[in-house]
Amino acid sequence: MTELLNKLAAWGVNVAIAFTALRTNLMRSILTTLGVMIGVFSVILAVAVGNGAQVSVTQQIATLGSNMAIVLPEPERANGPPRPGDRGRLTERDGEAIARQVPGVVAVAPQIRTSVQLVTGGRSASTQAIGSTESFASISNLGTADGRFLTRSDIGSAARVVVIGQTVADKLFIDVNPIGEKVRINRVPFTVIGLLESKGSNLGNDNDDQIIVPITTLRQRLSTTTAQGPDDVTLLFVGFEDEDTLVAGDREIKNLLRARYRVSKGKITPFTVRTTKEIAETSGEVTQIFQAVLVAIASISLLVGGIGIMNIMLVSVTERTREIGLRMALGAKRSDIRNQFLVEAAVLCIIGGGIGLLLAMVAAAIFQQVADFPAPIGLDTALLAIAFSGIIGLVFGGYPAIRASRLSPIEALRSE
Amino acid sequence: MTAPLLETRDLIKNYVIGGEMVHAVNGVSLRIDRGEFVAIMGASGSGKSTFMNMIGCLDVPTSGVLKLDGIDTRTLNSDELAEIRNRKIGFVFQQFNLLARTSALDNVAVPLIYAGVGPAERRARAQARLEAMGLGNRLLNTPAKLSGGQQQRVAIARALVTNPLILLADEPTGALDTQTSLDIMGIFQKLNDEGITLVVVTHEPDIAEYAARRIVFRDGKVIEDEAVTSRRRAVSS
Ligand SMILES: Nc1ncnc2c1ncn2[C@@H]1O[C@H](COP(=O)(O)OP(=O)(O)O)[C@@H](O)[C@H]1O
Ligand SMILES: [Mg+2]
Repeated sequence: MTELLNKLAAWGVNVAIAFTALRTNLMRSILTTLGVMIGVFSVILAVAVGNGAQVSVTQQIATLGSNMAIVLPEPERANGPPRPGDRGRLTERDGEAIARQVPGVVAVAPQIRTSVQLVTGGRSASTQAIGSTESFASISNLGTADGRFLTRSDIGSAARVVVIGQTVADKLFIDVNPIGEKVRINRVPFTVIGLLESKGSNLGNDNDDQIIVPITTLRQRLSTTTAQGPDDVTLLFVGFEDEDTLVAGDREIKNLLRARYRVSKGKITPFTVRTTKEIAETSGEVTQIFQAVLVAIASISLLVGGIGIMNIMLVSVTERTREIGLRMALGAKRSDIRNQFLVEAAVLCIIGGGIGLLLAMVAAAIFQQVADFPAPIGLDTALLAIAFSGIIGLVFGGYPAIRASRLSPIEALRSE
Repeated sequence: MTAPLLETRDLIKNYVIGGEMVHAVNGVSLRIDRGEFVAIMGASGSGKSTFMNMIGCLDVPTSGVLKLDGIDTRTLNSDELAEIRNRKIGFVFQQFNLLARTSALDNVAVPLIYAGVGPAERRARAQARLEAMGLGNRLLNTPAKLSGGQQQRVAIARALVTNPLILLADEPTGALDTQTSLDIMGIFQKLNDEGITLVVVTHEPDIAEYAARRIVFRDGKVIEDEAVTSRRRAVSS
């Protein structure tokens, strides 16, 4: 017990010696610390931005709806984007079949997407129009902030009604409640019946820059170039009861579609099924890679900071050779001298790391305010930063410290 | 009969500089017993410092026997030598070798750090040593605020703080004026009266007369080793 206390006290002495030495060369200490500070600052910020990207992706996936699959009429490609020839067919009737035959399916919402131009009063906006059905709202967690969503009768009657996203509303209606307003979409007059709840933007993709109209209306009034037949859709949204049926649904949907399109055995499935679960997983991987790359780049500055530490510690050892000799003459063991210089390097690094961490927290907060991008720094990141700077000190201070400890007492004492 | 405090036989230290061999210490055999007060004299370059550094375990002999308190120090590793320097030997240097920007108290406490003594006891023991040196009112002064004689007294306090067996002083008065030198020798004499063994290097004959035994070096060998006949006593103030 007292043994342990004495050991702790010995480290305390080293910290005191370190502070005296660092104060002696204050300017030099500050400049050296600056290197580590910048290094830790950039690593922490990189981690925070990476965390933010992950949070952002998670949010984006949540906006898709929890247990949902998207069916696309193109074969899955392991590498690269689909080629033009890839695109096959997918119809509303396929959707109905999926709803009837695939276990666990709650609802299916067909979609046709097309670019449109909106005009009202003197203003205009171009955006993406999604033609879908009333089920779309429930499958993809879409709510309305004001007014109402499409109803079954809107679809049946091919009503010229539109639900608009927040961004579109901001562009077209200033100081006017958009609900009930008239708007011309590709010159066709529509009535605004609803305003979508804002879903924010994720990684530069504005989720509020879209409008939703009945699929029937879109087909009849807003020309689409992609459709090959009267029944064709761009994609299908399929809502499932729970995660288990969702996971099984991937195969079920493919098998059903293979049967419906009589794809012979051995040929690849000309359909892609993407589940929210899969999307979450791959996006998670992508953001992790993104974060790793960021941190790797930032680590270079930390490495440079570490080399600065090593450099200054070597200078310090050389300047204080006589002191080292004296301490040895008074009974310091090699390990005492080594620890003294290790602690000095670690103190430099931890001070730098602490300041770097604080600056990173400030920068992250500013980033969050200005760029509306979350960059959270958790307690774990903070502790990691401090521990990491200490380790930098030990690693880069190690060589100078060992060099100091290997000096011969008499030669050190005789040096000038 | 107890072993002598210090015993050397055919102690040799050679240096090679510029391809030429220098016999700095060239076969020294002697013994020093507990309670002795030895002055080592000799011309510059005669090997006094080299000898002191070897018996102080700061330097290793080229060959020969070196026993301190019955321990053959040539068989010890660096940690064991550090411990001997810490527990059994006190050093006093010509240039005082105090840590700059460090108080007298903290300077004196340094050996106790390496002896594993806790902070409170370190303080108490360092303070007691400084008070015994008449520096009770200078505890928190840094070396820059102390005279040469005061600095050397701090250094002596530091050398004594671990209660060593022997005090080794290599030209301790070399950087001091005559009166201060005599004061320091007076302190040594008092310590010797209290039973501490001392080996002091000096090249001033009147300083050497404070010791009880005088050893003279020339060219790395002992050429004279005799009791001081006309021993001087310090006028204690
Ligand atoms: N580290 C060393 N390297 C080479 N020669 C040395 C070294 N130390 C001492 N010497 C030589 O050894 C001899 C004795 O030196 P030293 O013990 O310092 O003498 P003193 O202390 O009696 O003046 C001198 O010739 C000196 O030049
Ligand atoms: Mg000398």
